[in-house]
Amino acid sequence: MGVGVDSGRRPFTGGRLGRAIGAMSETRSWPFLLIVPSLLVILLVVLYPTLHGISLSFREMRLTRPDLGTGFVGLRHYVDLWHDDIFWRSLANTFKWVTLAVSLELAMGMISALALNREGPLMRICTVLVLLPWFLPNVVAANMWALMLDARLGVVNELLVRMGLIDSYVAWFATPTSGLLAAVFIEAWHGYPFFTLLILAGLKAIPKDLYQAASVDGAGSYQAFRNITLPMLRMIVVTAVILRVISLANSPELLLILTGGGPGDSTQVISLYAFKTAYESFDFGYAGALSVVTLLLLMVFCVIYLRVSRVLEK
Amino acid sequence: MAVSRHTRRMNLIAHGVGLGFALFSVLPIVWLVITSFKTEAEIVTDTITFLPQSLQLQNYRDVWAQSNYPSLMWNSIVTTFYTVTICMVAGSLAAYSFSRNAFPLRRELMLFYLVVRMFPAVLIIIPLFLILRTVGLLDTRFGLSLAYASFLLPLFVWMMKGFFDAVPPDLERAARIDGCTRIGAMVRVVLPLVKGGLGACAVFVAIGAWNEYLFALMLTSSAGSRTWPVGLQMMVGEFQLPWGLLAASGVISILPVVALFAIVQRAMVRGLTVGAIKG
Repeated sequence: MGVGVDSGRRPFTGGRLGRAIGAMSETRSWPFLLIVPSLLVILLVVLYPTLHGISLSFREMRLTRPDLGTGFVGLRHYVDLWHDDIFWRSLANTFKWVTLAVSLELAMGMISALALNREGPLMRICTVLVLLPWFLPNVVAANMWALMLDARLGVVNELLVRMGLIDSYVAWFATPTSGLLAAVFIEAWHGYPFFTLLILAGLKAIPKDLYQAASVDGAGSYQAFRNITLPMLRMIVVTAVILRVISLANSPELLLILTGGGPGDSTQVISLYAFKTAYESFDFGYAGALSVVTLLLLMVFCVIYLRVSRVLEK
Repeated sequence: MAVSRHTRRMNLIAHGVGLGFALFSVLPIVWLVITSFKTEAEIVTDTITFLPQSLQLQNYRDVWAQSNYPSLMWNSIVTTFYTVTICMVAGSLAAYSFSRNAFPLRRELMLFYLVVRMFPAVLIIIPLFLILRTVGLLDTRFGLSLAYASFLLPLFVWMMKGFFDAVPPDLERAARIDGCTRIGAMVRVVLPLVKGGLGACAVFVAIGAWNEYLFALMLTSSAGSRTWPVGLQMMVGEFQLPWGLLAASGVISILPVVALFAIVQRAMVRGLTVGAIKG
């Protein structure tokens, strides 16, 4: 190293190009230059499509009806939406689906993280195993559970019968209520490790002497949990809930594979309705309007939730 | 002492609960593996058997020889490779810049990288479909990987910034005094130090691209670019489901994910938490 470099600073690689990049890195605009490639990709594949999608929601765009053209229709899609029963049902279902799944995942994540927050090899191995479902694709998770919950072949039915909890096999995806609950359960199995992971990291970041001081003051473990653990975790829990609500409201994957919206629209959420409108009816304008409404609702949720949870205050 | 007995009991309960959650997470996956080794007659039966009579490899043989699964997997490998490359090149540079430089609009830009994750996938997919069709990248593996960059690149940048933050800037200053250019200091001094983090982030992106279903379903249509999640879902027929085949293909497909996760889990978990908490 350091031999044979003729002038100035050493480039990171040989050749003229290397020297040119090296020289460029000494200019004042270098921090921006570094960002340009990623910014270009994001503008191209996220921002432009999003804006385009919003503009589509004000236009006619049906791939199956090219004769209608792609003219501007103003708020017509939004007016249609207002009179669309399926939209209102999907909205209610989205609310149920997200609330139930996130509450269950948060509870399971909190309990598992509190338990796993110990020293020793056994709990370390358990932590890795707990995280595993989160890395499984929806396609595998959904089909796997569809087999296990099957009305005729399902091992879950068999186990519940043997334990005496049910009398005979149940067709979980046959009625609206049990269908939704089964889907929520599967989603919870798939998604709770996300909460475990974040809460575990939060727990490890709490200084141990806080608990020692509390126990000197005579606080029991419940009091320590209420007055130390929970307040220290608030920021993480709020962040985790927001991220999870966003991804649950935006992603129709699991329900698309598992139920396709059934039985009887009981698991038809807005993202799924939008996806089917785009993918099956090829009505891009209306699907765009549905997605814009999702985006607006998510923004409203984030603002209200951040206000209520007061994490942004000093 | 009463306190220590209480503590010991709490510890015991915690171990029990932790073990319970681990089993809850893993047992369904174990059942998938068991099912993949059963014959169709053992799966479609009125009396469920928990363990297969003998280890049947027939399902795996059928998936490999009689379906187009090998080519689906190959498409997934290529798409994943493109996605990881895009994220590694564009993402590392941006993450490094965010970590090391104070410049106007830095905070706003970083926030922008986070906010873009809030946009509904369906809203992005439709225009992407139209754009990719216009430029001739619809139904190609490269076009699909560009679409994946839309949600994986911002995540990569945030995670990678955490790893760069952990490297003390003094090291680069020393390198610069020794005569390195800025890019030289980054490539020669800093990159070797964040190798582990870079690997973890790459694995995370790879898993995300490998597993993705929705974009693939919408943006690919031919055998030349269709990825395995779409192919697997297409095996699910209307009436009689080929459970054995499904289970075997599921196991084959999640094998790389589990293996990669096992290798880099510690670094990846750290990166994930850093990225997510700061977000």
